[in-house]
Amino acid sequence: MNSIRRRLLLWLLSGLALAVAATGARIYTQTLEEANELFDYHLKQMAASLPNDSFDPLPPSKSGGPEIDDGLVVQIWDRNGLQLYFSHPTSKLPQRAELGFSTVETARGSWRVYSALEQNNIVQIAQPMSVRQNLAAGMALRALVPLLLLLPLLGILIWLTVGRGLRPLDQMASALIRRTPDSLDPLPQDGLPEEIRPLVLALNDLLVRLARALESQKAFVADAAHELRTPLTAVQLQIQLAERAKTEEERREAFAHLKQGQLRAAHLVQQLLTLAREEPGVAARPHSTVDLAEVMRLVVSEHTPVAADRTVDLGVSEEKQAIIPGDFEALRVMLGNLVDNAIRYTPRGGTVDVALQLRDGTAAIEVSDTGPGIPEADRERVFDRFYRRDINHASGSGLGLAIVKNIADRHQASIVLENRVPGPGLHASISFPLR
Amino acid sequence: MRLLLVEDDAMIGESVRKGMQQDGFAVDWVQDGRAAELALETNLYDTLLLDLGLPRKDGLEVLASLRRRGNPIPVLVLTARDAVADRVKGLDAGADDYLVKPFDLEELAARIRALLRRKSGRANPVVQLGNLILNPATREVSLHEKPISLSAREFALLHALVERPGAVLSRAQIEEKLYGWGQEVESNTIEVYIHSLRRKLGTQIIRNVRGVGYMVQKQT
Repeated sequence: MNSIRRRLLLWLLSGLALAVAATGARIYTQTLEEANELFDYHLKQMAASLPNDSFDPLPPSKSGGPEIDDGLVVQIWDRNGLQLYFSHPTSKLPQRAELGFSTVETARGSWRVYSALEQNNIVQIAQPMSVRQNLAAGMALRALVPLLLLLPLLGILIWLTVGRGLRPLDQMASALIRRTPDSLDPLPQDGLPEEIRPLVLALNDLLVRLARALESQKAFVADAAHELRTPLTAVQLQIQLAERAKTEEERREAFAHLKQGQLRAAHLVQQLLTLAREEPGVAARPHSTVDLAEVMRLVVSEHTPVAADRTVDLGVSEEKQAIIPGDFEALRVMLGNLVDNAIRYTPRGGTVDVALQLRDGTAAIEVSDTGPGIPEADRERVFDRFYRRDINHASGSGLGLAIVKNIADRHQASIVLENRVPGPGLHASISFPLR
Repeated sequence: MRLLLVEDDAMIGESVRKGMQQDGFAVDWVQDGRAAELALETNLYDTLLLDLGLPRKDGLEVLASLRRRGNPIPVLVLTARDAVADRVKGLDAGADDYLVKPFDLEELAARIRALLRRKSGRANPVVQLGNLILNPATREVSLHEKPISLSAREFALLHALVERPGAVLSRAQIEEKLYGWGQEVESNTIEVYIHSLRRKLGTQIIRNVRGVGYMVQKQT
């Protein structure tokens, strides 16, 4: 019964039926009341108008005597209690009754009885209550019949009107069904009933957000495909050079280049995957509590061989304790990217310091290097996907800082990049709110 | 034939330079738009291989300003942008050909040869001078229908002379055609190649214009 139309029909018709029944009951009681007054008056009049002297003691015969309508039963006694007249000798009405009106229950239903003292005789007139009840019921019924006949008509009317009222919903549904997954234009809002408008507004809002998400996904895929072309081109060219190699030495060199090209393509794919996983809107893995100092120690020890290889002095300069709610793996990737960048941009003999500081209710992981720093103008753009600043470091994926930003955002952390004073060098700081 | 390669990606640049050198081209390689403009101002190139997504100055801008200055050098665009709109934009900006990454070294060399051919106003891929026939694609040479085996440098030198019969090329011009930057040229290398060519082709074809340079005779 989960249909607005049927539910409305049921409730409205039930309500109407109830109203009709109430009207019937009211008419019945009112009519009965009026009939009572009227008939009582009638009984009284009759008793008064009955001939008084012509009654002799009751003849043995049952025949004769005035026949009275409306089921009236008349008894007359004299002062001594002698029955002078009885219109229906078989009736089981009480033989004596108190004066005035009374209602008497008999085996044949209840009777209205009126007794009066008229010139030494007691006159009693009785009438079955059913006469009045039938009258009232008849009145009520006559009034109700047209209403009852109207009920099915009303039902049809309700059915049609509700259906008509709900038509915008149907139209909306069919408009939505006809859509292809990429047609995300807002639904038309003109001429909509105000009950449906909020739904359409909410839907349109969702469509706009969906379109935006889809757009950014498309852009991401296009960017990714475009970016993958570069390492793949390099690999293809390196393969051809390896094929052309004539001497063993040439071949060895060509394969060494090929291997670098392959590593670079693999690195880009890895970064793309990480970025896709950390993309806002992707269901975040459940946060547990993370010891930032542990993340820092792990990342620094992981990068020590690379740093040593480039004769960069990598180390931890300050280690406070900070436990934050977070995703250990993501935080490791984030700090790893920062440290990797720092090592990459730091000239030989330089220094990369990693520190964990506590200040102003935040825990800040900081990476400082002695590289060239980033010009003010570029500091926003470096977080863009595939943005590469320096051609001399083209082997990077251009995704490192985009990943850092996504992970920081997911942890409500803020990133600050600034050049060191005095330079040269870059100082990157990621502050996590502490509860 | 001397090429200027403008490519910001180190791996691709290195590979293209090496591959084109193996195909007998002299290649200069720069990694950004400004360096490309500087190189174009100071040297004479036969073809420009231009990547579009360049740091410092975009490839399309380099191309447009090149054409504005009236430089007719054949330009082959190498790019990862493969949408039709991008190609149209590149060609309209003055590119002569368009090669989408990833590409093949053989195809790149073939397209460069086609550009050079068009530049010299020939439709035939084979260069002919009397009984001497050069095929730049295969680097085969025949004289009187007899094949002659030449080294890559020897072929490049002969090709440079045969491309412009009647014109005298100085030693410096020939060196420029044969060597890219950073390739050391011994002082008498050109003479050595000329000597070797004369040994293989006979002394009549390449003539020495004393004090000026070398030429091949225009055939009538």
